[in-house]
Amino acid sequence: MTPLKTVGHGTHRVDALQRVTGAAKYTSDIHLPGMLYARVLRSPHPHARIRKIDVSKAMALPGVKAILTHANCDITWSSGDQLNQRRLFNNPVRFAGDPVAAIAAVDRHVAEDATYLIEVDYEVLPFLTDVEEALKPGAVVIHEGGNLSLNNQRQPAPQTYKRGNVADGLKAADHVFEDNFTSAHHNNAQLEMRVSIAAWSGDKLTVHAATQGIANCRTDIARDLKLNVDNVRVISEYMGGGFGNKNQCQDSDLMAAMLAKQAGAPVKLEFTRKEDFVAVHGRWSSRQSYKAGVKNDGTLTAIQMTALTGAGAYRKGSCDLSGTEIYQVPNLETSVSPVYTNTAVAANYRAPAYPQGVFGIESLMDDVAYALKMDPVEFRLKNMTRKFRDQTPYTSIGLEDCIRRGAEKFEWKKRWKPEAGSGTGPVKRGAGMAMGMFGSGLGRSSAVVRLDGQGQYHLYVGVTDIGTAAKTTMGLIAAEELGVPLEKVTVVWGDTDTCPYSVGESGSRTTVQTGMAVIEAVRDLKKQIADKGTPQGTDVLTAMATTNPPPLQGASRNSFAAHFAEVEVNIETGHVIVTRFVSAHDSGRVVNPLTAQSQVQGGAIQGIGMALHEELLYDKRSGQPLNAGYYGARIMTHLDAPLVDVVWVETDEPYGPFGAKTLGEPTIIPTVAAVANAVYNAIGRRVKSLPITRDKILGVLA
Amino acid sequence: MKKISRRKFVEGTSAGIVAVAAIPAVEAQQKQTPASAVNPSVPRTTIKLSVNGVDHRLEVEDRWTLVELLRDHLELTGTKIGCDRGECGACTVLVDGTPLYSCSQLAVWMNGCSIQTVEGLAKNGKLDPLQEAFIEHDAPQCGYCTSGQLMIAKALLMKNARPTRDEVRTAMTGNLCRCSNYNHYVEAVMAVGGKA
Repeated sequence: MTPLKTVGHGTHRVDALQRVTGAAKYTSDIHLPGMLYARVLRSPHPHARIRKIDVSKAMALPGVKAILTHANCDITWSSGDQLNQRRLFNNPVRFAGDPVAAIAAVDRHVAEDATYLIEVDYEVLPFLTDVEEALKPGAVVIHEGGNLSLNNQRQPAPQTYKRGNVADGLKAADHVFEDNFTSAHHNNAQLEMRVSIAAWSGDKLTVHAATQGIANCRTDIARDLKLNVDNVRVISEYMGGGFGNKNQCQDSDLMAAMLAKQAGAPVKLEFTRKEDFVAVHGRWSSRQSYKAGVKNDGTLTAIQMTALTGAGAYRKGSCDLSGTEIYQVPNLETSVSPVYTNTAVAANYRAPAYPQGVFGIESLMDDVAYALKMDPVEFRLKNMTRKFRDQTPYTSIGLEDCIRRGAEKFEWKKRWKPEAGSGTGPVKRGAGMAMGMFGSGLGRSSAVVRLDGQGQYHLYVGVTDIGTAAKTTMGLIAAEELGVPLEKVTVVWGDTDTCPYSVGESGSRTTVQTGMAVIEAVRDLKKQIADKGTPQGTDVLTAMATTNPPPLQGASRNSFAAHFAEVEVNIETGHVIVTRFVSAHDSGRVVNPLTAQSQVQGGAIQGIGMALHEELLYDKRSGQPLNAGYYGARIMTHLDAPLVDVVWVETDEPYGPFGAKTLGEPTIIPTVAAVANAVYNAIGRRVKSLPITRDKILGVLA
Repeated sequence: MKKISRRKFVEGTSAGIVAVAAIPAVEAQQKQTPASAVNPSVPRTTIKLSVNGVDHRLEVEDRWTLVELLRDHLELTGTKIGCDRGECGACTVLVDGTPLYSCSQLAVWMNGCSIQTVEGLAKNGKLDPLQEAFIEHDAPQCGYCTSGQLMIAKALLMKNARPTRDEVRTAMTGNLCRCSNYNHYVEAVMAVGGKA
């Protein structure tokens, strides 16, 4: 790979100064003149019909300016449910936390006081919190059509994939392995809580949103409020994380807009931390059943996976599961069925369908390797994917190098015990590894670049930068293509009035998709400069590009990773510490190694939390969430976090901006399984349910 | 060295409350939302405090938290609210040099106190070494927890100029980072004061 001048060198964020001085203005930092504050009243019941709602006392409270309920605000929140089953305020309410009313008042204390004055007469309905219970005959019906949701083609059938014939494959096997794995609903838990500020000027609506994608957010708001898209402006200058739960438009954006309309004043709607845990969304839970056939020499002959996933009360996400694609196997069948329950909604969280699916398949494959007395690393090198779905060549694949170089950095041979559970004393050490992959497709995006008479370039990109350093990445790509230092490029972002379409920071697509648009726009500008000369004085040259490459024919573009974990398990207390961690990644060329390293280390540490701690628990008898908040979720802290070593496997990738592939989401994909496999190696017993908490460890040891 | 545990961190509410800064004749401008005018029954108290070296005399509603006072009424929005319930540390400020969760302190308790926020770290246009190290080591990802991480690190280094890596991790454990950029945060603090 040819080294480049700007891309590929560790570079500080272009907005680093703002981030360390408190000068960066996040949505909640914005104050508009005459702005009102809003709060939401939510259902205390997991399932209930609202017979009557009386807001008169609340409305009479001095300072209250507007109240919305299902009775005066009937709006479909389309990105809240892929099947359009969700209103802004639903009746019946389907989970403890479903919005019932929103109140705008002169300050947040008055708005909160008013929530206590709203009288709601509920007809409490039976409810359920468990996906298997939801499928039993006679179970409470949460949506018309039943508790089994439609598949992603909107058919009343599971989401399936099939190649070969699993029955034949199992027949041809020397050994057949069967097992079940489960994973829990857990929360994105980004530090910035949901907040939206809406202001109307005549027909034109401006929303300051904490969003991962200003363009999609704007389109969604326009569609749901039946506005011309030109009359909606979305601004998100600084964004305090999301990990998938701030994609598109959120109900808070729509509520703020409708409250502002009713009150005739700008409205800031803030969700509380508890609301963020209960009423936004987390990663869907899963129950996975596997069958796998394998030859004596370790060759896979078949894999079958059937699963139920927990959608919660609405269908906000795909609720799919991925993971089996990392193996080369001639016969494969997967079937995934999303199921409704009266619990918090599930949708996108960093690699939505992956870490829990990879946990299942990689736990099973680990068992296969041990049963055949094969080193798990050797087993994976033998069976890892070589072609996408065993059929389509990859544009580049560095998975083997990720495994080999990762293992070397980790000192696998030294740390992994051939006999799981061996060792004496109460603290047992073990090592585990796992693989992962993620799509890195090219797609539609736009960019504008301008050169002024002072020699400064301005790059307009519709990114918001959720912590990924997207602004810096875009600036680096432009600077590289222009052949100028980064300081000569001013990046303009985060406002739909000034910036063209970007895909939004979901699916780890910004670098690859918007990056290509940046390169095209710069090439056009360079052509103009060659034709017309450099602009002087007040003159400018402007170039714009929309790139929309057709899907690759006969090739698949993917990122790959292998993670290695070492743990210490105290078999008397069940306490697990991750003592060493190596993340090896093939994301093609790394545009900014400094910020990319932050993402890889952060993704791994976040994944360790998913592996060991995090679950949103429900009381089955009351349908109430039990641990909504940071203490209850036990997300990773400074003291929990191990040092994460990063190994870059920079493959020569022919497509994408300078050969860059996706990175943000792959960073968490193999982590959970690597930790789970390390726990197995330490104690010789397998915990088959996430999170791997102390009680479960003591349970399998008992 | 004395470790700052999370418990002490949350409990330490009133340290140094007697250290009164002299209030100059010309008081800093105060901002009030119209809220209080709406409901005169809300109890209010006049307090004096210093924020980043600027003295203020303010009438506050008794129910306001310190972070509310800073963000909504003094326009110091660098201090963030991540949970508003004493769990995440994003709102950490120094009260008479002691790091506290400003969401868990009432504004009225701050009478006579000297508060330092992230906006007060840079002096005469020069960044604090911690701020420079945070940039150098790419400590902030989304940046929402960064002000709190800076303030807890500042408090640590004021007490212990050369902490070990484990002392840094222990002192900062009450400050969550969901981007989980803990490795780079610790690296940055170690670069300023660390014994390695």
